[in-house]
Amino acid sequence: MSTSGTPDVTSPLLSVRNLRTWFYTEGGVAKAVDGVSFEVGAGETVGIVGESGCGKSVTALSILRLIQPPGRIEPGSRIEFEGKDLVTLPDDEMRHIRGNRISMIFQEPMSALNPVFTVGDQVAEVVRIHEGISRKKAWDRAVETLALTGIPAPEERAKQYPHQLSGGMRQRVLIAMALIMKPALVIADEPTTALDVTIQAQILDLLVHLQKEFGTSILMITHDLGVIAETTSRVIVMYAGEIVEQASVTELFAHPHHPYTEGLMHSMPRIGHDLERLNVIPGTVPSPTNWPHGCRFRERCPYSWDLPEREHPPLYDVGPGHVSRCHLAIEPERRNHPHPPLVVQAGVGAA
Amino acid sequence: MPGPIPDSAVTSPARPRESPLGRSVRAILRKRSSRVALVVLGVIVLVGLTAPLLAPYDPAAQPDIVGLKNQPPSLAHPFGTDPYSRDVLSRVIYGARLSLMIGVLATIVSLTIGVGYGAISGYLGGMVDSIMMRLLDALLSIPRLLLLLGVLVAWPHLSIGALVLFLGLTGWFGLSRIVRGQVLALKHAEFVTAAQALGASRRRILVRHLLPNLVSPIAVAATLGVAHVIVLEAGLSFLGIGVPQPLASWGNIIQDGADQVARLWWMSLFPGLLMVLTVMTLNILGEALRDVYERHS
Repeated sequence: MSTSGTPDVTSPLLSVRNLRTWFYTEGGVAKAVDGVSFEVGAGETVGIVGESGCGKSVTALSILRLIQPPGRIEPGSRIEFEGKDLVTLPDDEMRHIRGNRISMIFQEPMSALNPVFTVGDQVAEVVRIHEGISRKKAWDRAVETLALTGIPAPEERAKQYPHQLSGGMRQRVLIAMALIMKPALVIADEPTTALDVTIQAQILDLLVHLQKEFGTSILMITHDLGVIAETTSRVIVMYAGEIVEQASVTELFAHPHHPYTEGLMHSMPRIGHDLERLNVIPGTVPSPTNWPHGCRFRERCPYSWDLPEREHPPLYDVGPGHVSRCHLAIEPERRNHPHPPLVVQAGVGAA
Repeated sequence: MPGPIPDSAVTSPARPRESPLGRSVRAILRKRSSRVALVVLGVIVLVGLTAPLLAPYDPAAQPDIVGLKNQPPSLAHPFGTDPYSRDVLSRVIYGARLSLMIGVLATIVSLTIGVGYGAISGYLGGMVDSIMMRLLDALLSIPRLLLLLGVLVAWPHLSIGALVLFLGLTGWFGLSRIVRGQVLALKHAEFVTAAQALGASRRRILVRHLLPNLVSPIAVAATLGVAHVIVLEAGLSFLGIGVPQPLASWGNIIQDGADQVARLWWMSLFPGLLMVLTVMTLNILGEALRDVYERHS
């Protein structure tokens, strides 16, 4: 297997090695994350993109070790961060990492905030968990941080409850909570999905701005390639629990290699391209309890042939710092002969 | 540094803070029925609190057991006297003090156990939860009154403290069910995961994040619980196994005149009326609280 080609990161802040997070359900073992390896450098922004059910959120939760039973991080997985293996770290040390060295911004700002406390309380609580400082001092820090996230009249806003703020404001509060301890890494799980477009752009700008300000690394998890293009320098494309392609943003958008990545790009609405309807990737992600043998994208792929059916593709080197889990790397001429994918031929999931 | 990007949407001026508690109080004040209930209950509580100042006589004094017994209401004894020549008004006033106190204290006992038991069961889940819930099923299958009767018949001369304890010990089953269900529903809420992601410990999550979200259902249960205990205590005292003589509770005042209810009507009417008023106002307030909480959940 030629799994080289990891981009040249001098000192990776986070290094995930062969992460496997499996869920032992009654319907079988769901291999939600199945052998994922990647790195995030200090100050770098890395994107993980993929559709629902591809394992990107589970990857994020695994890094913070927030997987609930029946889920489990399988032995042999390694998550190295600042010289520690997070998989085997004792619980109390792990708590010290969470919110302090690595923090997370959640997708749905309303439900990620506790409805019965003021937002100021909730931002201040993060400081109080990690530093034994007085209520008053923590509150002042909270107000300061809220101001940094562009909340007008932060002293007043801090005294309000989550339901009294707009979606954009609430997301700013969550960002304040994630950044108040100046963590080395922020995991942003679909941070703008719940917001309307104009606010989305503002929140992304804010994240980029604060990242420069604090020198924080960001792991941006999204299904939206637009968000990736706007904020990240390197992209990981996930499909069916594994990484299927990885490259710098410019390389990926210029030369997408994996047919899944191609499909994601074609399904983005673009200005100047009048289409009757958007292109979609036919079919859905297969069930994680029963990943297909061979290439996991095979049934939805317009190029599949007998090799992907027989053999699970390794990550091939396909360019500078660019890897792709597709046998087209060794038989590139097949790209010239697309055909309807198997799911369409079978009449399932045609769109 | 360049200024942060301001938020364009929302810019309603900052509204005053609206805590869940403030919301409940305002909701109670908004409805006339609950406003009236609050005033009536307030007066009864005040009467209980200031009993020594208000009562015209010593509630236990038997000034003339022959000449003054069983007097109908008069100016000197507005609520009449009982078969021991004691002043019923004074006894009803002291009864308010004792009945309310028993109701509140027993409810505090039930709340403590019920919230603790339910929260632990729901939060730990799994085997612990199953075992705790089966035990609760067993306890719930015994009628509360029967349980109390058994205990009180076995120990007929219980102190008030022990009575309160037993009333409390038998009153938490339903509440712990509610609390357990709520904790179970909330523990997978995203704000709990978020709190975990920020480094909060399990204890902190339970105490700081989950329980405060249960204040409303607990407040409803507590209000209705106090009413229930008052009725129970009255029932037990009426059966002669509740509050011991010569202490006065609404239940045992009624009991004192029970063998001649038709003739000594004042002995059941006045304490009965107060009890009905108290229980009714507590129920109205409990319902009002439930309305607010259901509208917001």
